[in-house]
Amino acid sequence: MTSPASGIKPGQETNQESGQEPMILALPKGRILEEVMPIIKAAGIIPEADFDNPKSRKLTFGTNNPLLKIIRVRSFDVATFVAFGAAHLGVAGNDVLLEFDYPEIYAPLDLNIGHCRLSVAELTALSINDDPSRWSHVRVATKYPNLTRKHFAKRGVQAECIKLNGAMELAPSLGLCRRIVDLVSTGDTLKANGLAEIEKIIDITSRFIVNRTAFKTRNEEISRILQDIGARNDLK
Amino acid sequence: MPRPEDEPNETALLPEGLHDTLANDAEYQADIVEKLRQCFASYGYERVVPPLLEFEESLLCGPGKAQSRNMFRVMDPVSMRMMAVRNDMTGQVARIARTRLQNSPRPLRLSYSGSVLRVGGSQLRPEREFQQAGIELIGSDSGEAYVEIILLARDVLGTVGIKNASIDLTMPLLVPAICRGLGLDDKISKAVRHALNVKDIGELDNLDGDIGEISRQLLSASGAADKAMAIIGKLSLPAEAQKICDELKEILARLKDVAPELNVTVDPGEYSGFEFQTGIGFSLFVKGVRGELGRGGRYLVEGNGKSKDAVSEPATGFSLYLDSLMRAVPKMTEIKYIYCPYNMNMPDVNKVRLEGYRTICGLEPTKNDTAEARRLNCQYIWQNETVIKI
Repeated sequence: MTSPASGIKPGQETNQESGQEPMILALPKGRILEEVMPIIKAAGIIPEADFDNPKSRKLTFGTNNPLLKIIRVRSFDVATFVAFGAAHLGVAGNDVLLEFDYPEIYAPLDLNIGHCRLSVAELTALSINDDPSRWSHVRVATKYPNLTRKHFAKRGVQAECIKLNGAMELAPSLGLCRRIVDLVSTGDTLKANGLAEIEKIIDITSRFIVNRTAFKTRNEEISRILQDIGARNDLK
Repeated sequence: MPRPEDEPNETALLPEGLHDTLANDAEYQADIVEKLRQCFASYGYERVVPPLLEFEESLLCGPGKAQSRNMFRVMDPVSMRMMAVRNDMTGQVARIARTRLQNSPRPLRLSYSGSVLRVGGSQLRPEREFQQAGIELIGSDSGEAYVEIILLARDVLGTVGIKNASIDLTMPLLVPAICRGLGLDDKISKAVRHALNVKDIGELDNLDGDIGEISRQLLSASGAADKAMAIIGKLSLPAEAQKICDELKEILARLKDVAPELNVTVDPGEYSGFEFQTGIGFSLFVKGVRGELGRGGRYLVEGNGKSKDAVSEPATGFSLYLDSLMRAVPKMTEIKYIYCPYNMNMPDVNKVRLEGYRTICGLEPTKNDTAEARRLNCQYIWQNETVIKI
């Protein structure tokens, strides 16, 4: 066996993290946050007071557990932070998870909140005579280009996706494209914009997600958190 | 996409996923690869060096099949046949064992290291070229072969200064075996396998009956080996699946015996990356380092179709990925450079070199040797017949 002679000083200044490194929980800003917080709090994770202060400019928040910190980022970014291991835990809808399809994210807990569906919609006038089985190509405005492309490819339709970050419902009426793929909860927004839902792609709920490496190397801590969240909230 | 005005490429922009490794990093990486090789050799694994590219059919047989789309192809103008660039060396080593070394005594122990190339990187691992190093133990299907390579994996990581690796064992054949035993079709089997692989509880919610209960239990089982085996032990599984779990149990018992300090976890559902495997698989992780450092397991080296005694051989081995590995190793110690001014005695130069300094010799006289030494990033200088720290 070789000795660690030339080049390496064992144990000194390694870039390996110690076991006492705090864990980061990434939560999505906005609508879902209101639904998530009761679940997080019920599991005994209480963020510092600044977390509820809209004027605070903080991005990282401590909790009653010195080894757990919370960050608040956009819902799509939660998945990215967790996939790269910058955050160890997070909450994200399966729409976001499917859009990125990161192999490094585990979703071991369905939080049973944030219910909605991802659907294809088009102008009501168009939908009357439209026959989807004749399509070979569609142009779609969406926040989910990968998911949309995959969905249509499965039935042999090439989807040309125009990536928008919001207000998808405007696209058809202004002639940007004839169809959109977007989240639908009641369908009221679609109706108000003269659109009809023609196909559901998938049902959405929010999931508690875990970085794969963290799941393998800090399993005990993570299992405890998962158990607390699951048991205290009566989740499967 | 580079625009036409970016041509000619005066800024030396490299294609996506390719990069130059410079000075200390390049040296450290070579140093690490050499240490890996020495450790492999000390366990009796002999180094083989397959070529960077070969005829596409040879790379696509066996373990390479799943990788077909991720290989660069090039037409060989000499033979007028298609060649492919390797994107994994395991298949090449298996080919060597099956052909050139078919008459060598079994079990055969081979090691390798080299660059591999793939058409597309992933967002998490954008590198399209990286080095791979590993070993294969060919011609034994014993449980002891797993123990040997897992211990070798631990030791080889220790050799390069990684002490806290954890080993995650998986049973890629377990879910298909359970589904077969329960008489379920391929579609359900694939869905369950996928859901367990990405730990997607949502996907499992719709499953009723035995498979629903078993798969939810399996998902909750992943974690520390003892906890996992306790949960798996309580399940009533079809015979074929039970056999796989028993094999894992035996390996875990052996590991506990010979390497009690080893950090072992079990993930019964991990599947991606183990598609071609035929037994227990494992991945190596280090806390805080993105992705795995390496992967191993068992697969079949398919017999040479043309020879009359074409028998498939079981092989057990693992690969390390140098890009991940380099993120996990300790920082390199500082290298000591000494400036040897013009006209320094040759015997003295050799003497300081033997003392472990790296000598940067002045090729012409300078007005101020210390300033020259600084300019050349030397921390030491030879002055008044002795080594002086600057």
